[in-house]
Amino acid sequence: MCISYECDYHFTIVLRESLGGEEEEEDPQTSTTMAVSTIYSTQALNSTHFLTSSPSSSTSKQVFFYRRHQSQTNRRFNTIITCAAQQTVVIGLAADSGCGKSTFMRRLTSVFGGAAEPPKGGNPDSNTLISDMTTVICLDDYHSLDRTGRKEKGVTALDPRANDFDLMYEQVKALKSGIAVEKPIYNHVTGLLDAPELIQPPKILVIEGLHPMFDERVRELLDFSIYLDISNEVKFAWKIQRDMAERGHSLESIKASIEARKPDFDAFIDPQKQYADAVIEVLPTQLIPDDNEGKVLRVRLIMKEGVKYFSPVYLFDEGSTISWIPCGRKLTCSYPGIKFNYEPDTYFDHEVSVLEMDGQFDRLDELIYVESHLSNLSSKFYGEVTQQMLKHADFPGSNNGTGLFQTIVGLKIRDLYEQLIANKATAPAEIAKV
Amino acid sequence: MMSTTASHGRVMMLPSPSRALQNQQPLIGSDMFRLKQTEPRGSRLVVAATAKYKGTKMREEKLSEMIVEKVKEATEVCEADVRSEGCKVAWDEVEEVSQARADLRIKLKLLNQDPLESFCQENPETDECRIYED
Repeated sequence: MCISYECDYHFTIVLRESLGGEEEEEDPQTSTTMAVSTIYSTQALNSTHFLTSSPSSSTSKQVFFYRRHQSQTNRRFNTIITCAAQQTVVIGLAADSGCGKSTFMRRLTSVFGGAAEPPKGGNPDSNTLISDMTTVICLDDYHSLDRTGRKEKGVTALDPRANDFDLMYEQVKALKSGIAVEKPIYNHVTGLLDAPELIQPPKILVIEGLHPMFDERVRELLDFSIYLDISNEVKFAWKIQRDMAERGHSLESIKASIEARKPDFDAFIDPQKQYADAVIEVLPTQLIPDDNEGKVLRVRLIMKEGVKYFSPVYLFDEGSTISWIPCGRKLTCSYPGIKFNYEPDTYFDHEVSVLEMDGQFDRLDELIYVESHLSNLSSKFYGEVTQQMLKHADFPGSNNGTGLFQTIVGLKIRDLYEQLIANKATAPAEIAKV
Repeated sequence: MMSTTASHGRVMMLPSPSRALQNQQPLIGSDMFRLKQTEPRGSRLVVAATAKYKGTKMREEKLSEMIVEKVKEATEVCEADVRSEGCKVAWDEVEEVSQARADLRIKLKLLNQDPLESFCQENPETDECRIYED
């Protein structure tokens, strides 16, 4: 059987095979059951189908879809072929220390399945990460001044004057429209700008760094944005953990470095948080008096209301104020325990919902217990959040709100992506075949 | 199947996730993971990777040296004027290099292999890809 369909230039074939009258089987081991294949890869199709295209006119492509043989079962297959314009979903992630948020990125890409890896065979100092569905770009690659240049001009990397926002805008716009770009590489080891690398438009583009929301034009391109807001005390504790093993560092040098960067950080980076759809705020715990180790954390997920395709997570009753300590008769926790808070609030003149977790998970059953009481998680099956957390149990933050909220944000982004793609589909053709 | 990994000085005993969640039921009691505050014992089944190629070892050393240099430089520049541009740029460089050093350490740990692995598969003859021997 052969189906031919004409599509506009730049298209994606959305192939959805559903078993008529039965529930679609889902393999909980894979994070998603989306069957989306693009015209330039036929891997997603199984062996009973193949896809060819013959370029006809310059503005349209014809697709011939063949099914080799009949299905062995007598279940009905509905094959829906939808031609959709290639729409790359763009996510912005703002964090200090540029592209060091590898754990957040790995959690995010893991939700979509597959591990994110540096581009194979290219510049070994590339900052880019690529997985099946996502490409993560480090915005340091858009530095207009290399390390020497910044020293000469007297600007830090935090300063907008050290970054080429025109190029950033052009390239993100191109990738969003399905056009590959030659993106520069900023080499953090040498401090130089290396030769560019070719970036293909992915399904999901994540731009990560100091200034994803700084330029208004780039902001307009973002489908979703996240700001990671680390409080000064926690930042200090983390940098101590990060740097104390290094010969060159001492408590004084770590402190001096944070202080010296603070004015530029407050002027250029911090104001971006007002534009974010979700802010993850990391603060010292309130459960342990005078704790300054920064090991137990209080993490707040501030979610903007009214964002398209984004429904905030809530606890028990949406829009109300809840204070919840899960530890008690049904669940025993060890010191210092876990405390949740949920409430509506205002953040920079926007309506927001804030979900807060203070404390640590000590056992698997605590995690699944908490998950079962949260609503609007956008998970595909019961226990998915726990499963994702377990998958990366060795990542920092796996036992507290940072890992939990990063994972939840990952599910939210997946949900947003699926909704966006479903809405972009045009002129679906439905063929039923027994 | 139990596997142990060391992370930040703590040992975690993890049940195999696929087995544990096959039934998709809430897990209590015996299927637990524990975070212990003790040092890892002799029986470590998974050890974080160390540098395999010369190139990675060189980067590690270079970055560590740069941290020493740049901290010294920043301390000197700031002694003159702590509010000068030169002072904040110097400490920003320290931060950049410290983060790069930490990123390399994280990459080695998360990838559990040398970051140059795929580059060296394609370019085994380069100096960077010589196997590092202590």
